[in-house]
Amino acid sequence: MDVALVALIILWWALITYAVLGGADFGAGVWDLFAVGRLADRQRNLINHALGPVWEANHVWLIFLIVGLFNVFPAAFATLSIALFLPFTLALLGIVLRGAAFIYRYYAINSKGRFARLWGRVFSVSSLLTPFFLGASAAAVASGKLLPPNGIADATYIVSLISPFALTIGAMAVTLCATIAAVYLTIEARDTEHDKELAESYRLKALIAGAVTAILGALGLGLSSVESPILWHGMLIRAWPVVIITMIIGLATATTLYARYYSTARVLIIAETAFMLGAWGLAQYPYIVPINYTISNSANAPNVITAVLISLACGMIIVIPSLYYLFSVFKLPYPAPGLQRSANEQIEPQQKGAAS
Amino acid sequence: MSNLLAARAQMGTSLAFHIIFSALGVGIPLLLCIVEGLALRTKNPVWMMLTRRWARAAAILFAIGAVSGTILSFELGLLWPTYTKFAGAVIGLPFMLEGFAFFTEAIFLGLYLYGWDRLSPRAHWLCSFPIWISGLASAWFIVSANSWMNTPAGFVIKHGKIVDINPLQAIFNPSTPYETVHMILACYVATGFAVAAVYAFAFLRGKRSEYYRKGLMVGILMAVIATPLQMVSGDFNARYLADYQPVKFAAMEGVVHTEQGVPLKIGGLADPNTGQIHYAIEIPNGLSLLAYLNPDATVKGLDQVPREDWPNVLLVHSSFDGMVGSGLFGLLVAVLFWGLYWFKKRTFPENRLLLWGIVLAGPLAFLAVELGWMVTELGRQPWVIYGYLRTKDAVTTAPWLNISFSIFSLVYILLAAALIWLLRQVARRPLPQVKAVGEGYQVIEPNIVDAEEVGV
Repeated sequence: MDVALVALIILWWALITYAVLGGADFGAGVWDLFAVGRLADRQRNLINHALGPVWEANHVWLIFLIVGLFNVFPAAFATLSIALFLPFTLALLGIVLRGAAFIYRYYAINSKGRFARLWGRVFSVSSLLTPFFLGASAAAVASGKLLPPNGIADATYIVSLISPFALTIGAMAVTLCATIAAVYLTIEARDTEHDKELAESYRLKALIAGAVTAILGALGLGLSSVESPILWHGMLIRAWPVVIITMIIGLATATTLYARYYSTARVLIIAETAFMLGAWGLAQYPYIVPINYTISNSANAPNVITAVLISLACGMIIVIPSLYYLFSVFKLPYPAPGLQRSANEQIEPQQKGAAS
Repeated sequence: MSNLLAARAQMGTSLAFHIIFSALGVGIPLLLCIVEGLALRTKNPVWMMLTRRWARAAAILFAIGAVSGTILSFELGLLWPTYTKFAGAVIGLPFMLEGFAFFTEAIFLGLYLYGWDRLSPRAHWLCSFPIWISGLASAWFIVSANSWMNTPAGFVIKHGKIVDINPLQAIFNPSTPYETVHMILACYVATGFAVAAVYAFAFLRGKRSEYYRKGLMVGILMAVIATPLQMVSGDFNARYLADYQPVKFAAMEGVVHTEQGVPLKIGGLADPNTGQIHYAIEIPNGLSLLAYLNPDATVKGLDQVPREDWPNVLLVHSSFDGMVGSGLFGLLVAVLFWGLYWFKKRTFPENRLLLWGIVLAGPLAFLAVELGWMVTELGRQPWVIYGYLRTKDAVTTAPWLNISFSIFSLVYILLAAALIWLLRQVARRPLPQVKAVGEGYQVIEPNIVDAEEVGV
């Protein structure tokens, strides 16, 4: 098998992982924007606790994607860097402000002071904008119209970025992140904070955001038939079963959420995201940047990719168990070594003290 | 500003900003590991107070380090796409490995910073090891990629195409052993002096409890170990550069003509047009002696390459002298401190002048890091990949670089201002109440807004 294809599949998995982990962190920021009224403080508290230990690790998947693309498809990476200069710069500003603002708010001495409120607002607004720009960039690439007709990347050629298709997918990226986040936060509210009222509010938010995502997704699919012929063609000949499964999983997620089977809903929303991104990948195969860059014409030398794959394997041996440990200490109900006895009973007042 | 200058300004600003946090990101985890280990071993609550305080500051500093590092990884492509096409093909691997190191660091940081109440004391302490080890590894990988830009290796250019790529040869290029060691030691030197400076300042303002004395001593202990090693490493670097990067070396020392028995020029100002250094203190035959251990040795000058391939001699020479000067000042202060400590039969030296010296050594150590980085980066110009790709040919075709530079500069100013304000707030919180309980400690963080009492 072609080593470039193997590497691409791994990168695609990393993209899915970034969407379900990093995407959820952006989504939580979006909900922070809508945290108003009686529950506002409890919502912010929940979001702080949910993101605190994991957001930095979740963010590394993005770095991993960037360096992966840079290693395996250097020419395509250079082209994308020019063609997507504008949306990437905006997304980068969003990523930077999001991370910094979150930590500034979290460690502000007075959580109700002006400093904390101001950075809280920066955190939520940048959490909303970043997935939009990333989603629109992805749609622009998939449309096959990112590069001008001469095939040479031009940062000022932004036709594909301001098309209805790109704007729809950008918006869908935001609502998808919000949906994922709402599902996770429902569980966190129930299990970690033991706050039924908060869990119910996030359940409702997840259902609404999920419905909006479905509508935008259908609209995007329809628009792709006109605006991104390559993607549409790929859907018809290759990816249609995956698209149908994605739709079914979407309905199943909504049903389980409605019936309050939250843990099942969490698994399903992850599967939903994976299948959605998988459908995009399959439909766009074998292009990296349609229509000029394919896997074969932009891949690095096979021996370099092999070296990358070997180091990937070595790195994952360290990272995956570590990640599992991180999540089992903070998020999962399974026992993990090294835990304090009766850790759950102690944590609440202590962490609240630290966060305020 | 031209597009090229704007791109260089933005990249330079980003590196200057990020390098502070990456140096702390390598140094602080080791300090945390040491003080928490001492806390668990000695059962002295002061060590645990230091650990808690530093962990809180570290959480904020590391987050800013993570986001400013993200800016750099994007900027490689956004500002220098031609460079990424070339470098991605050959030297992408250490960037990927650095990604894994960063991953490990972020995972265990999450466990370390937010796991105080979840993990057992021993498990918590063990989580500090992967952090400092991966911080070290990150620095090594990134600097090995930078070394490659200075002395490219591991590929052949045939008919304008890069072929015969050998990633391992690229990583272990000739500069790697020298540059990586020098940068890693710099992180420990800078962190040590920074921590010592904070507590020296507190001490001068009358805070003289055991907490402040221990904080100062841990910092300056790290500095007094790392700084002499750094001097040795610097000497190795200089002698290596004289052979492998003679143009950079000539710019550092202001050697215009290749000749025998070259004097060492300390200080002074270089004329960037002629490369001549004016008003310098000259030590006859000093440079030949330092570089080759032979007073009559030949030192290659700038004249071996065409004028347009010279780096900016004024900046490189002055940065180099500034770096060495700052480092020597730090060494003097650290040695004086420990000398007095032993001379006075292991009592804490309270000499105000010495303490002010330590306060000054903190920022100077970071200045040395910045200047050292400028020597190696500006000394490589006008090339981005030495001998293969000129900086002006690597810059993006995207317009708006002036706007981009302005926006990012504003973001840095904003982030820095908020960071300084927040760190001051955190430092002013009263110290946590710490009590040894069983295996570990019970810590009660004071939950007071606008606290009266001041800690560090």
